Amino acid sequence: MIGTTPATYAPEAVRKRLQGKRFDAKGFAFSACLLAALLITVTLLAVLLYDVINGGWSVLTSRPIEFLTGSLSSAAADAGIGQGLRGTFFIAVFVILVAFPIGIGAAIYLEEYAPSTRLTRLIDVNIRNLAGVPSVVYGLLGFAIFVKALGSFTGPDANGRTVISAGLTLAILVLPIVIITSAEAIRAVPDSLREAGFGVGATRWEVIRSHVLPYAGPGILTGTVLALARALGEAAPLILVGATTGFLSGGDSYNLASLQGRFTAMPMVIYNWTGRPQPGFETATAAAIVVLLAVVLVANATAILLRNRYEKRR
Amino acid sequence: MAPRPGESGVLSVESLKGAPGRFRKESAIRRVFFAAAATSILISALIVLSLAGEAWTFVTQVDYSSLWTDGWFPRRGMYDVKTIFVGSILVTIVAMFVAGPLGMGAAVYLSEYAKPRLRRTLKPILEILAGIPSVVLGFFALTWISPEIVQRLNPESSLFNLMAAGIGVGILTTPLVASIAEDAMRSVPQALREASYGMGARKVTTSTKVVIPAAVSGLVAAFIIGISRAIGETMVVAIAAGATGGSLFNLNVFEPGQTMTAAMASMAAGTDAVKGAGLTFQSLFFVGLLLFLITLLLNVSAGRFVRRVRQRY
Amino acid sequence: MRHSAPAQGRLKAPSHLARLLAALLTAAACASPGGAGGLAGSIVISGSSTVEPISIAVAEKFHERHPVVDISVDGPGTGDGFELFCDGEIHISNASRPIRPAEIADCEDNDIQFIELKIAIDGIAVLTSPNNNAIGECLSFADLYSVVGPESRRFDRWSDANSLAAELGETHAAPFPDVALDVTGPGEESGTYDSFVEIVIEEIAAERGQPEQTRPDYQASADDNVVVQGVTGTDTSLGWVGYAFFKSNKSQLKAFEIVNEDGACVAATPSSLADGSYPISRPLFIYVHAEKVEDNEALSEFVDFYLSDEGIASVTEVGYVVLTPGELEATKDAWEARETGARDT
Repeated sequence: MIGTTPATYAPEAVRKRLQGKRFDAKGFAFSACLLAALLITVTLLAVLLYDVINGGWSVLTSRPIEFLTGSLSSAAADAGIGQGLRGTFFIAVFVILVAFPIGIGAAIYLEEYAPSTRLTRLIDVNIRNLAGVPSVVYGLLGFAIFVKALGSFTGPDANGRTVISAGLTLAILVLPIVIITSAEAIRAVPDSLREAGFGVGATRWEVIRSHVLPYAGPGILTGTVLALARALGEAAPLILVGATTGFLSGGDSYNLASLQGRFTAMPMVIYNWTGRPQPGFETATAAAIVVLLAVVLVANATAILLRNRYEKRR
Repeated sequence: MAPRPGESGVLSVESLKGAPGRFRKESAIRRVFFAAAATSILISALIVLSLAGEAWTFVTQVDYSSLWTDGWFPRRGMYDVKTIFVGSILVTIVAMFVAGPLGMGAAVYLSEYAKPRLRRTLKPILEILAGIPSVVLGFFALTWISPEIVQRLNPESSLFNLMAAGIGVGILTTPLVASIAEDAMRSVPQALREASYGMGARKVTTSTKVVIPAAVSGLVAAFIIGISRAIGETMVVAIAAGATGGSLFNLNVFEPGQTMTAAMASMAAGTDAVKGAGLTFQSLFFVGLLLFLITLLLNVSAGRFVRRVRQRY
Repeated sequence: MRHSAPAQGRLKAPSHLARLLAALLTAAACASPGGAGGLAGSIVISGSSTVEPISIAVAEKFHERHPVVDISVDGPGTGDGFELFCDGEIHISNASRPIRPAEIADCEDNDIQFIELKIAIDGIAVLTSPNNNAIGECLSFADLYSVVGPESRRFDRWSDANSLAAELGETHAAPFPDVALDVTGPGEESGTYDSFVEIVIEEIAAERGQPEQTRPDYQASADDNVVVQGVTGTDTSLGWVGYAFFKSNKSQLKAFEIVNEDGACVAATPSSLADGSYPISRPLFIYVHAEKVEDNEALSEFVDFYLSDEGIASVTEVGYVVLTPGELEATKDAWEARETGARDT
């Protein structure tokens, strides 16, 4: 084409051809659609937050202390989430004590020690698949193992339907997530750091301890906090483990002996209250959701901020 | 850890080996970490074991004609698996109609269009959405999506319906799809984009004709993992889809219905001692095993697609 | 090796955690629930969600006096409650119908003796949305059979039931208009379901050679609260639920009057339930584990309190109808004598 254009007009014509139309309608429409997808998602989040905060605000402002410390009740006006918070607190303790050490240990093994054998590959694939198993199936596992088989240990007087069973079940549920995120953080450690350690005669464990873990620490922390947030929001396994829904006395004690008693937890309180038609419970449910969201989202936001900060630094 | 000098003051191979105590400690530590990694195998074994026993009882004792009736009513001995399977599929289809376009669109925008600063704001918002507990979305689906969206679209629809549950599950799945899809798009080498611009292609052409085809395996994986998550989602459906006692075979998403997950949750709600015609309790484990196998299949095939992207670049 | 100092500090953490975990688990394994002083022990109550509010109200009062006693109350349904009870998992089973022979056999298999205590009267309210002006105010058993009986499967308009209603005769509201029919009711694990079938459906079903059950395709839940929610969901809904749940949600619901034996339309009210003129009423029970009463002081104290004036006042507080003085006396006598087994009532 250019060849056929008279030479005198060439610079203008070439410029035009190279620049294309000033307004690219197709491109604009495409990017508008993409942006719309994002904005719809963000808007839905905003509507959800507005919906629950608007619904629960009256409860949270009119009787904040009573609501946060009160117990389950048949009357919406007296109902509180103290027992739910207590159950959720102990679930967090179990996840931290059980899933974190095992998960980080497994990640260290897979990234630092594991030889490239068939067993290693099996473990690796297995962990990835475990991460995709629906939570309700973990609930069945918890029911069969911790409630039925180990019931005399997890709660002899409560037939195993205790916060110990729930905590262990949720620890198992998030274990694959802890392993995968920790392994990713460890993988991101540059090999030069390890080589420097080996170069001065350190053993593998010494290299891991002094070089790898400090460097991967923030990444591991982010992953574990996200996993913890996931555990705190899960309700389906609690249904199968048998959290109490009606009335519970004593389920607000933080002493260790009470671990073997009946329990409830925040997601279960919300699930149960969602089913109640009395107008009082709709606001109480919304208020309970605001509290759970505050806990979970603050944990998430901390983890995300932490990661972004360290990512930027490198 | 300064090397100990040899007897003659000269370094020998022997003196470089280190103390035996260090080696013992080293191998003990290694064993501890291996045990931690092996726990995952133990967990898988326990899952299969705890499901298989009761599921086997169900399979061997159930009257096979009761597996193909016109509804899932475990307490009446009607175990029509296709009802809850189709329920799961319907919810998943609705969910993917939400999560597919929203998730993929968000991923393409974040990876190809968003300026770094915008991306830094939007990405965390998506991640926060990913952290919302499913009971919360269940409540939202029942109290907002159902009356404000579904019943407005179709005034005939009942308060509990599969549509609202599906939309709720879709919102829950969107961040997951977006995050995996974005990873796939960003793993496409920059050189491909530059080559495309060098040929004079516009951004839209580069995105749709170069980057997306290059990342297609990853996008498919994101979609499959989204499906797997949607099929396994329990609480949104248990709260918003209704039909907690069982459901007739139903293809209308504006009616109450039941999925495999919700069937399990409603059977166990409040008690695990499910009462009913004979095998009700065992059917819980049978459905659990079925669900486990379906999600396993989906995850394994998604893994294949992910590996394909990794191998290429 | 600059990293080493902080790193060692950080890596001590896991060993501390491990020690803490061990300590926690041992403590949890060794300690037994309960505390020093006063009445201690644990009471686990489950069963009917209809009776649940009474037991919760009693438990709340009891808890104020004996704060150390651990009480939990759930409401999965009468049938599931007996399942747990006969497995020996719970101390008290709430029931909105008498125990069945099959359940008695289950209990006997596990050597579990029970004390049956009748505690209140409840009616079953047949409900719709307050916006429902299409169906009228009053239904007969035949009307109900034609819309929720075993032959009504897949009826999703009220008018679908018209030919069946015509066949039955003795209808009051039929023929029905062509409006949506959304049925919500208690699930089959629930005693309210059983009572409803027994009182409303059974006779007509038996005459027609049909199974004695409702249509399967209704919105079912063990949680009466969900039933109320379902009924309010659409204008021309139909549902049934324990009278107390209707009473505490009156503003959101409308109850149908029911045609009684004399052909009169009767509304469910405390007085019509007490004198038996409202046709769908049934007694409510608690079943107490006889052996556990002997060695669990908290449990026997709790049941004493349940049957005391203060305890039994909960029945009216949560909206049920109290027994006649004579019946209440009989219940107290049965408890004092620790009379086990089902009574013919």
